[in-house]
Amino acid sequence: MDYPTIYDITNSEIDINGLLAKLTLLSTGAAAIFTGMVRGKTKNGNPHETTYLEYEAYVPMAEAKMKQVAAEIRQKWPSIEGIGIIQRIGKLYPETPTVLIACTAAHRDTGVFDAARYGIDRLKEIVPIWKREVSPSGEEWIEGDYMPKPGE
Amino acid sequence: MNQIKVLFFATLRDRAGEKSVNIDIPEETTVQALKDIIVKTFPGLQKSIDSVVVSVNREFAFDENIIPESAEVAMFPPVSGG
Repeated sequence: MDYPTIYDITNSEIDINGLLAKLTLLSTGAAAIFTGMVRGKTKNGNPHETTYLEYEAYVPMAEAKMKQVAAEIRQKWPSIEGIGIIQRIGKLYPETPTVLIACTAAHRDTGVFDAARYGIDRLKEIVPIWKREVSPSGEEWIEGDYMPKPGE
Repeated sequence: MNQIKVLFFATLRDRAGEKSVNIDIPEETTVQALKDIIVKTFPGLQKSIDSVVVSVNREFAFDENIIPESAEVAMFPPVSGG
């Protein structure tokens, strides 16, 4: 059975409904969708405002690593049917969705929630994408803290 | 000598002042040895190099790995997508 795996790095608006349609088969009865957006006001930690985020990607490697994340999901949760991993890049303003992870399955209790969670966590570890935050007080690159290990 | 291409992203691109550079390296050069060459060429990268992530031909690479001929190497900070 060939299940749909869709991954993309795009400068365009993320089309949640369009993606969901592509991940929905006749056998599909559940989807878990995670999306993250630009937070304009940060309250916890270091409270501050964000004017916009500017994302960039090492596109060919990022696509290869998204494909790898999807393969890891399929290995951990064999019941997953469709997988969608989309990252929007460029200059993105508060309230704008920046990333989307969607996993579909026959039923909600076979791992779709965990699979989507795993997808966003892994994207933030191994997919080469970076963002620069511009705020009223200046701008800085945001750096992660995950150092990939051999075999990743 | 092998000619390779090194791409820089995010903070490393800003500090290097270049998006990419073509350089000749001796055969059997390791990732660690390449880091030393790059820091000599771009002293501004000194403070990035200890926490740099390196890929060779779009796979993560580590200090002891040998860089093949015509490789596409990339150097970047830990990723921050999402």
